[in-house]
Amino acid sequence: MTLFADYRPLPGTFDEILDDDGARPPFRRVLEQLGRLTPDELARHQQLAELALLNQGVTFSVYSDNRGTEKIFPFCVMPRLVSAADFAHLEKGLGQRLRALGAFLDDIYDGQRILESGLVPPEMILGASTYRPTLRGVRPPGGVRIHIAGVDLIRDPEGTWRVLEDNLRTPSGVSYVVENRVISKRIFPRAFDLARVHRVDHYPTRLAETLRSVSPVASDDTTAVVLTPGPYNSAYFEHSFLARTMGLELVQAPDLFVDGDIAYVRTTRGPRRVHVIYRRTDEDFLDPDAFRPDSVLGVRGLMRAYAAGNVALANAPGNGVADDKAVYPFVPDMIRFYLGEEPVLAQVPTYVCARDDDRRYVLEHLAELVVKAVDEAGGYGMLMGPQASSAEIEDFRARIQAAPRRYIAQHRIELSTCPTWIGDRRQVAPRRVDLRPYVLTSREGQWVLPGGLTRVALVDGSYVVNSSQGGGSKDTWVLKGGAGL
Amino acid sequence: MISRVADHCFWYGRYVERAESTARLLSTTHNLALDAELEPAACWRPVVVVAGEEDAFKSRWGDDDGAFADGERVEQTLTWDADTGVSIRRSLEGARWNARSIREVVSIDAWESTNELHLYMRSDGARADFAERRFDFYRRIRAGTQLVLGQLRSTMLHDEPLDFIWLGVMLERVSQTARILDVHHHAITTGAPRHEVVATSLWLSLLRSLSGYEPFMKRHQGRVGSDTVIRFLIGEDRFPRSVAYCVHSAYERLCGIRPPTATDLPGGQTLEQLRILDELVRTQRNELHDGEDVHDLLTTVVDEAHAICDSLGKELLGHA
Repeated sequence: MTLFADYRPLPGTFDEILDDDGARPPFRRVLEQLGRLTPDELARHQQLAELALLNQGVTFSVYSDNRGTEKIFPFCVMPRLVSAADFAHLEKGLGQRLRALGAFLDDIYDGQRILESGLVPPEMILGASTYRPTLRGVRPPGGVRIHIAGVDLIRDPEGTWRVLEDNLRTPSGVSYVVENRVISKRIFPRAFDLARVHRVDHYPTRLAETLRSVSPVASDDTTAVVLTPGPYNSAYFEHSFLARTMGLELVQAPDLFVDGDIAYVRTTRGPRRVHVIYRRTDEDFLDPDAFRPDSVLGVRGLMRAYAAGNVALANAPGNGVADDKAVYPFVPDMIRFYLGEEPVLAQVPTYVCARDDDRRYVLEHLAELVVKAVDEAGGYGMLMGPQASSAEIEDFRARIQAAPRRYIAQHRIELSTCPTWIGDRRQVAPRRVDLRPYVLTSREGQWVLPGGLTRVALVDGSYVVNSSQGGGSKDTWVLKGGAGL
Repeated sequence: MISRVADHCFWYGRYVERAESTARLLSTTHNLALDAELEPAACWRPVVVVAGEEDAFKSRWGDDDGAFADGERVEQTLTWDADTGVSIRRSLEGARWNARSIREVVSIDAWESTNELHLYMRSDGARADFAERRFDFYRRIRAGTQLVLGQLRSTMLHDEPLDFIWLGVMLERVSQTARILDVHHHAITTGAPRHEVVATSLWLSLLRSLSGYEPFMKRHQGRVGSDTVIRFLIGEDRFPRSVAYCVHSAYERLCGIRPPTATDLPGGQTLEQLRILDELVRTQRNELHDGEDVHDLLTTVVDEAHAICDSLGKELLGHA
C-alpha cells in the first residue's frame, strides 16, 4: 500500500475508500493491487489516458466560446469504487424515486390529486415556469415520461447517500461513463479483473430497447432517431456517440417535419416516418407552435403529432416541473402519497423561500447556507454562504426578498472524498466527488446502469464538480456481490 | 439517408477537393512566375479569375493590372484569407466542420486526418512553413487532402454516404478543371503572339496545375501544343481530372444513389441533367475546331455543373 501510505481523509469528511485504519473492507484487495503502482507509473498512466481521450476526440464544446472550441473533460485515472451493498441500496432507492416522480407527472398533467390533498402548495407547481398547462390531458405514447434519468447523489459526513438533484429532462454524461471505462480497463487490467466490476458498455443497447418499447408501432417496424441541436452544442460528442453506438440516425430539427400529425425525416429517398425521437434539445425549442412562438428552431407541429400519439418523445416534454429545485423538497411526500412507502434514499434538507417560516430562517442564516436559484443549472446562480463576501450576501438577500419563489436554501454538505491523482504533487489525495447514476424506464419497467458518472472537484478544497467550472471525471467501478470481497 | 447528412457528405468532398486544387494552383503558378519571363500580372491574374475573386481584388487593390501583379499578395489571400471563399484555410475549415457534423458517418481514419490538417492550418508551424518553405507547405496541404480522399475510399462502406462525398469531389473537380482551362486557354491564345518557348511553358504549367503533366506525356510523348493539351484535359477518358472523366464519374455516382430505373425516388431531374452533360462532352470533344468552340464548351460545363448542384440541393440534399 505504498501509494496510499500517506493518504489521510480530510477531517469532518467521509472518505469513501479509506478510513483512518486504511482501506474499507470491500475495497481492500483492489486497493492492495492499485497501491503497488509507483507514482511514476501512475503519472504515465494518467498521461496515456489523457492522450487517448484527445486522439479519440472525446470533447465537449465550451459555451462561452462562440468559435466552438472543444475541450477534453478532465479525467482522473484513479477509479471510484462503489460496493455491491451500497449499489443495491441505490438501485432500490432510485427505482422507488423514479416511480414516484413518474406518478407525480402523470398526476400533475391529469387529475392533480396531489394538489387537492394539500401536500404540495398548488402555487408551487402551477406557478412554476417548468409546468406546461397545455400538456394537461396528454398521455405520452407507451405511458412513459422519464425514459432517461440522471440523478445526482452525494454522501454526507456519515456516509449517507443523499439525492442532490433529479435530472429528468435531458441528462448528459453517459458517454463519458462508457469511454472512461474503455480507458481504465486498458490501464488497470489486473486491478479491474480482481475487483469484479459490473460492465457498462451495454448501455446503448438498453437505451435503444427502451426507446423502441414506447413506439406507437411494433418494435421491429420502428424508426427511432436521436435529435441534436447540432455540433456547437456542448454535448454534441455524446449525441453523436449515442447515435453511433445505437446505430440510429442523428438528426437536427430541420431534418424533421410533420404532416397530418405524423412526423417524418427528410431522406435522400423521400420522407420516412419517425416513431420515436430521443431528443437532446431543450423542450423550449421542440416546436415553435407549442412553446416558443418567437423561435425559428424546432419542428412545427411536433407537439400535435405527439399529443395524437403518433410519435414518442424521450424524455417527455413537461418533465421539468418534477426536477424543479422548488419542487424537490416535496419528493419524499410524493413517495409516501403515490406509493405508500417510506423513501429509501435520503435527500438534502431544504428551505423553501416561498414559505414564510423558511424564508425568515434563510434570511437570518445566509452566511451558513447554500442558496440556489431554482431555474438555473450548472452551478450558476448560487450563493455559497460560508465562502461569500458580505456584498454577495446582501445581493442575494435583496434577490430573495424580491422573488422568494425563485430560491431555495440548504446547509452546505461536506461532500465525501475519494483518492484522486494529483499530477503536480505526484501523489494521491482526497478530493470531493458526486455520482450521477442513469436510470432507464421502458414500458416494462426500470433499469439502473450499474455504474455512473463520478464527477470530482479537482481543485484542492473545492466543492464544485461541474465540468464547466473545473471539475473532472473518474471511472465508477460498481463491484459485484458474492464471494471474493 | 438523411438529406442533411447527404448535404454534409457532399460539401465535405467539395471542400477537401477545393483545398487541394487551390494549393496545387498556387504552387504551380509560384513555380511558373519564377522563370516564365512573363509579367507578374499575366501569371497571377488567371489564378484570381479562376478563384472567382477578380472583382474582390479590384475593389480592394485597384482596377488595373497592379491588383494582380503582386504574387505574394495573391498567395497570401488565397491561402489565409478568411473572407475568400476558396482560400485553403476556408476550405479546410469547411471540410472539417462538415466532417464533424457527421462524425457518426465518416470513418475514424478520415476524420482524424481531416482534423489534423485543420489543426495544422491553425498552428504556428503552418505560418512558418508558408513563410520559409513555401513548396513544402503546399505539398503538405496536398498530401493531407489526398490522404483524406484515399482513406475515405479505403475505410468507408462503399454505399450512399461515400457516393455523396465522391459526387461532391467530382463536381468540384470538373468546375475547377473547366475554369482553369478556360481562363488559361484565353490568356495563352489571345493578345500578342508569344514566343513558342513561352507558350510551351504556359501549357506545361497548365498541365502541372491539373496534375496532368506526366499523364499527358504518356499519351503524347512531348508533343505539347494547344490542340493536344486541350483535347487531353477535356476529353481523355482515363485521366481523373479531365472534364469527360469527372462528368462521367459524377453521373455513375448519382446512378448509384438514384438508379435511372427508380423513377419513384427523388433525383430524376439532376440525373437527367448529368446524363445530358455527359453526352454533350462526349460528342463535343471531337468537334473542337477553334478557340470559340473550346470556350463555348467550357462555359457550358461550368454553368451546367452549377445548375446540377442546384438541382441536387433541391431534390436530394434538402435545400429549400
